[in-house]
Amino acid sequence: MLEALIYGAVIALISGTALPFLYRSKNARKASFSLSFISSILLLVFAGIVLYTGKEPVFPAFRFLPGLDFTLAADRLSAGFVLLIAVVVPGVSLYSVEYVEHAKGEARKDLQTALTNLFILAMLMVVLAGNMVGFLVFWEIMSLSSLMLVLHDYSSEESKKAGLFYFIMTSLSTAFLFMGFMSLFRLTGSAEFGQLDYPASLLTLPFLCLFTGFGIKAGLVPFHKWLPYAHPAAPSSISALMSGVMLKVAIYGFLRFLLSVSFPQLWWGTLILVMGSLSAVLGVIYALKESDIKRLLAYSSIENIGIIFMGIGLYLIFKLEGFEALAMLSLVGACFHAFNHALFKSLLFLCAGSVVHATGTRDIEAFGGLIKRMPHTAVLFLVGSVSIAALPPTNGFVSELMLFQAYFYSSALLDPLLKVLLIITLSVFALTSALAAALFVKVFGITFLALPRTKYAEEAAEATNPMLLGEAVPAALCIFSGLFSSRILVLLGFDLGIPDMLSLGLILGGACGLIWLAVRNSGPSESPRISKETWGCGMLGQNSTMEYSSAGFSEPLVVIFKKIYRTEISTTRTYSDTKESIFKSGTVRIHLIKFFEERLYLPAAYAVSLVSSQVSRMQNGKLDTYVLYVFIAVLTLMTFTRYYA
Amino acid sequence: MISSFLADPTFLEDMVRILFVFVLITAALILSTRNIASLLTVYAVQSLLLVLIASSLYFIEGNRTLLAIAALTLVSKVLLIPIFINIIGEKIKISRDLKFNYLEPTPSLLVSMGLILLAYVFLSGFFNEFILSKLFFMGAVIGLSLTLMGMLVIFSRRKVITKVIGYLTMENGVLLFGIFVADLPFIIEILIVIDLMILVLLTTILAIGLDSTSEEYHQRLQTLKIWSGGEEQ
Amino acid sequence: MNASFLLFALLNTGFIMLISPFFMSLIKKVKAYTQGRKGPSLLQSYFDLRKLMQKEVVYSPNSSGIMRITPYLNLGVLLVATLFVPVVFIPDTPAGIGNIIVFLYLLAIERFFTALCGLDAGSTFGGMGSSRLMSLSAVVEPTMVISFAALAYVLRTVNFHEMFAVTAGSTIPESPTLTLISISLFIIIIVETGRIPVDNPATHLELTMINEAMILEQSGKNLALIELAHAIKQTILMAVLINVLAPWGLATELTFASFMIACLFFLVKASMLAGLIGLFESSIAKMRLFRLPGFYMMAFFFSALTILMEVFA
Repeated sequence: MLEALIYGAVIALISGTALPFLYRSKNARKASFSLSFISSILLLVFAGIVLYTGKEPVFPAFRFLPGLDFTLAADRLSAGFVLLIAVVVPGVSLYSVEYVEHAKGEARKDLQTALTNLFILAMLMVVLAGNMVGFLVFWEIMSLSSLMLVLHDYSSEESKKAGLFYFIMTSLSTAFLFMGFMSLFRLTGSAEFGQLDYPASLLTLPFLCLFTGFGIKAGLVPFHKWLPYAHPAAPSSISALMSGVMLKVAIYGFLRFLLSVSFPQLWWGTLILVMGSLSAVLGVIYALKESDIKRLLAYSSIENIGIIFMGIGLYLIFKLEGFEALAMLSLVGACFHAFNHALFKSLLFLCAGSVVHATGTRDIEAFGGLIKRMPHTAVLFLVGSVSIAALPPTNGFVSELMLFQAYFYSSALLDPLLKVLLIITLSVFALTSALAAALFVKVFGITFLALPRTKYAEEAAEATNPMLLGEAVPAALCIFSGLFSSRILVLLGFDLGIPDMLSLGLILGGACGLIWLAVRNSGPSESPRISKETWGCGMLGQNSTMEYSSAGFSEPLVVIFKKIYRTEISTTRTYSDTKESIFKSGTVRIHLIKFFEERLYLPAAYAVSLVSSQVSRMQNGKLDTYVLYVFIAVLTLMTFTRYYA
Repeated sequence: MISSFLADPTFLEDMVRILFVFVLITAALILSTRNIASLLTVYAVQSLLLVLIASSLYFIEGNRTLLAIAALTLVSKVLLIPIFINIIGEKIKISRDLKFNYLEPTPSLLVSMGLILLAYVFLSGFFNEFILSKLFFMGAVIGLSLTLMGMLVIFSRRKVITKVIGYLTMENGVLLFGIFVADLPFIIEILIVIDLMILVLLTTILAIGLDSTSEEYHQRLQTLKIWSGGEEQ
Repeated sequence: MNASFLLFALLNTGFIMLISPFFMSLIKKVKAYTQGRKGPSLLQSYFDLRKLMQKEVVYSPNSSGIMRITPYLNLGVLLVATLFVPVVFIPDTPAGIGNIIVFLYLLAIERFFTALCGLDAGSTFGGMGSSRLMSLSAVVEPTMVISFAALAYVLRTVNFHEMFAVTAGSTIPESPTLTLISISLFIIIIVETGRIPVDNPATHLELTMINEAMILEQSGKNLALIELAHAIKQTILMAVLINVLAPWGLATELTFASFMIACLFFLVKASMLAGLIGLFESSIAKMRLFRLPGFYMMAFFFSALTILMEVFA
C-alpha cells in the first residue's frame, strides 16, 4: 500500500518532468501539472498513514555505486515534511496551469513546467532519502533545478545577479553539508542516518558544519542575503515552493541530524535559540523597510525561519534541563510552524504573483485600491496576512501560541542565567510577532485598500479562475488547520493542552453574528446607504497622492530602529561667503548600509577572489608545468604516507 | 496591625525586594531624565529608598548601626545635598541637560540591564548561598549594579551637575553594597558623607565658575583662540 | 460548553458591557474636575452611544468591505475577550477560554483590523493613525508579554481563570512580584487604551492623535460599536489589574448574594482605578511621539526587573 503510493507519486512526478519535453504543447503542460497534483494527493494519503500509524517503512531501491545503496525510508519526522510538501503542491500546480502561460516563449513555458516537477521530486526525495549519499545527491538536484528556475528570465540583469548570488550561497551550503556528513561518516563508518551515541565533543564539528550548511539554505541571519535576491527573480509559483517547501527541507535535514544525537550539549541549544531570535527580529525589521512585494515576503520568510529555529533551540534547552513536556511542546510548535509557514507563505506568494501579473510591477507604492479590482485575490491575501500576523483562530497563531506557552511555563527552570536568556529571547519573540502584524497591515493596506496610486493599479483585472483556485487551496487549509489544530495534533498523538481554536472560532463567529442581529435594525430606516467623500480637512477632490505610502507607513519604525537600519546621511555644503553663513548649494545623500552585504559578504568575496587570482597564476597552460605539479604531488604523497599513515 | 507586619520577616523581605526594583528604576531615571529639577527629586527619592531599606533591615536584623546609617542618609542625602545642588542649579540657570555622550537613554537602559546581569554573574563567583542569604546576595548585586549605572551616568551625560548626581548615585551603590555585605564601619560612612558634602560644595564653586559642560571648560582652557562658528554647543 | 459557563458568559459579558461606558465618563469627569471644570454627566457615554445608534452610517466611496466588517469584528472580539476575564465569579472553564496568550492576541485582532480600517478610506489621517498605532504597539509588545509572562511565572499557570482563583483565595498579594506586576499592568492600561502620555483621547489634532485618527471616517452605529468596544477593552484591562492586586469580592461559585457583592465590589474598585487613571492623565503632559519608545523602554526595564527579581531572589 505505502509502496504503491510512494512509487505512484514518484512516477507521476517523473512523467510530469518528461512530458513537456516530449510533447511541447499547452495540453502537455496542463497534463504535467495535473500529474504533480495527483502525486501530491498520493503523498497526502501516504503521509497521513505514516503519521497516524507510526509505521517506519523502508523501500529497497537500487545500488548506484558499489557499497552505496540508495534507499528510501520514512518515519514520522519525514512523513511530517512529506505532508508539508503535499499540502503546498496542489495549490501551486493548480495556480501554475494558468500562471506558466504568462512566461515569454514556448520553450520557457515547457522548461518551467518540467523543472517545477523535477524540483518537487527532488525535494520529496531529499526528505525520503534513507542515507547521506542519497540525501546529498537529491539536495544538489533540488538546488540546481531551483537555480534554473530562478534564472528563468535569463536575459535580465537582475535575474543574472540573483542567480549568481543564489548559486554561490547554495554551493556554500552544500560544501558545509558535505563536510558535516564526511565527518559524521568518519565517526560512524556508515552513511546511514542512525542514532549517534557519541559524546558531544566528537560531534561538535559535524554540528557546526551542518548548522551552517542548513542555516545557509534555510536563510538564517547572517546567511540570509540570497533570499531577497532569489525570490523576486523567480516566478511566483516557484517562490511559493522555494519559500514554502525548500527552506523547510533544510529544517528537516537539520532536525534529522539533531534528533539522532543522543547527548547534545546545552550550548548547541543556546546557539540555535540566539541565531533564531536574531533572524526573526532582523528579518521582520528589514521587511518593514522593503517596498518590493516579493522581496518583502522573502524577508518575512527569514523571520519565520528564525521562529522555527527558536522552537528547535528551546526544544534542546528544555530537553537537556529535563522538561520533556515543554521540549515536546517546543519541537511540535517548531514543526507546526514550519507546516503553517509553508501554507501561508505559499498563499501569499501566489497572491503576490497574481497582483504582480495584473499590475506589471512589484513595487507596492504603485498599488492601491486593488480590493475593488481584484476582490477575490484580496480576500485570499487577507487570509494569508491574518495567519502570518498570528491572529487567532488561524494556524499561524496556534504555532506561535505553542512557543509562547513553552516560554510561559519555563518558570520551573533552575539555572538563573538560562532563564535570563529565555526572558531576553521571549521579548525578542514578542517584538517580532508584533512587528509582523505591523508589516502585514502595511502590505495589505497599501496594496489593496484606498485609491489606486498609478494607472497600472487602476487597470488591474482579477486573476483567472485556476489561479484563484490555486490560491484558495492553501487559504482554506490555513483556516482549517487553525480551527482543528488541537484535534489534528491529538489525532497524531500530541496531546499538548493547547486551547481549542474551534470553540474559540465558533464563539467569535457567534458573537459577531449576534451583534449584527442586534444592531441590524437600528438607525434611520429611510436612508439605506449614504456615501460621502473621505474627509480631507475641507479640501475637495481627494486623490491618491494624499494617501499614506508604504515608506510613510513604516517611517515611525524606521526612526525607532534607525540604529539597525544604519542609514548614513552625508551632506556637502558650499557657502557664498568665507565665514560660511550664506548657504549657496549643497547635496544630501541618504545611503542605506547593507550591513551584511558590505561588512561580511563583500570582504569574503574579495578574499576569495584574491586567493583565486593567485591560484590562477599557477594555471599557465604549459604541459611541462603540469607534469611538474604531478611530480611534486607524487613526492609529497610518498613522504606523507611514509611518516603519517 | 503595622507592628505585626514589622515583626514578620518574610513581609519585610518582600518589602526590601520591591524597594530594590525601585532603587534600580530611580537609577534608570537618572540615566534618562532631562530636567535637572526632576533629576534631583529622583536622587532624593533614591536616597529615601535606601533609608527605607536600611530601616527594614534593622527590623529584620536588629543591628543598631543600620538605624544610624538610615538617619545619616536621611539628613545628608535626602535633605542637605539636594538642597545644595538646587542652589547651584538656580545660580547657573541650567534647567535641562539634553545632550548625551556615547549612549542615548534608550540603549543605555539596555546596557544597564546587561550590567545587572554582569554584576550577578560576577558576584555569584564570589559568594554562594552558604555565605549569604538570597536577599543579601541580591542586595550586593543591586548595590554593585547601582555603582556601575552611576558610572554610566558620569560618562554618558554632559553637564557637570548631572555628572555630580551620577557620582552620588555611585556612592549610593557603595552604601547599599556595604549594608548588605561588608558591614561598613559607621565611622567610614560618616567620612564618606563628609567627603560628599565637600564634593558638592566644590562643585558649586567650580560649576558657577565654568558654566555648564566639561567641554566648555576644555574650550576655555584653550584660551579663547579663534571663534569657530557652527560648532556644536 | 456547559450551562454554568453559558450563565457566566451572559452575566459576565452583560455586566462588563453595561458598566464599561460609565468608566469612560468617570475618567472624563475626574479630568474635568482637576481642570476646574464641571465636566459631562456620568451617563454621557450612554447618551452618546444612543445618539450614534440612531444616526445614519456614511461610507466613503473609496472604502471597502473592511470598513463595514471591522466594527462588528472589533466588538465581537472584545466580547469574547470578556469571557477571559471573570469579574463576577469564576466558572468551570472549558478548554481554550482564559489563556493569556489568546487574550493578548484577541486584542491584536482588534488592533490589526482597526489599523486596516484607518487605511481603508484613503485619508491621510487614517494612514497616520494606523502607522503610529502599529509602530507603537509593536514597541510596547515586549513589555506586555514580559508582564504577562511574569504573571504566569508567579502564579504558575497561563490561564486567567486559574490565576484569579489563586489570587482570590488569598488576602494579601501572593508575592512582592505581583505588586510590581500591577504597576506594569497599569502602564499597559494607559498604553493600550490610548491615554496621555501616549495618545490624547480628547483631541482631534493631527500632531497628537493615534486612535481618534483611525476612526475618523466611522459614523453612526458603526462608530457606536467601535466606541463600545474601546470602553470594554478598557474595563477588561482594568479588571485584570484589579483581579491580580485586589481580588476581594470575586466569587468562586455563583449564588445570588455573591453575584451582587462581586458586582458591587468590582464597581467600587474599578471606579477608584478609573479615578486614578484620570488623575494620572491630568498630572502629566502628552509626550512627543518619538519620545515614546524611551518611555516604553522604561516600562520594559521595569517589567524585566520585576521578572529578574523573581528569577534571582
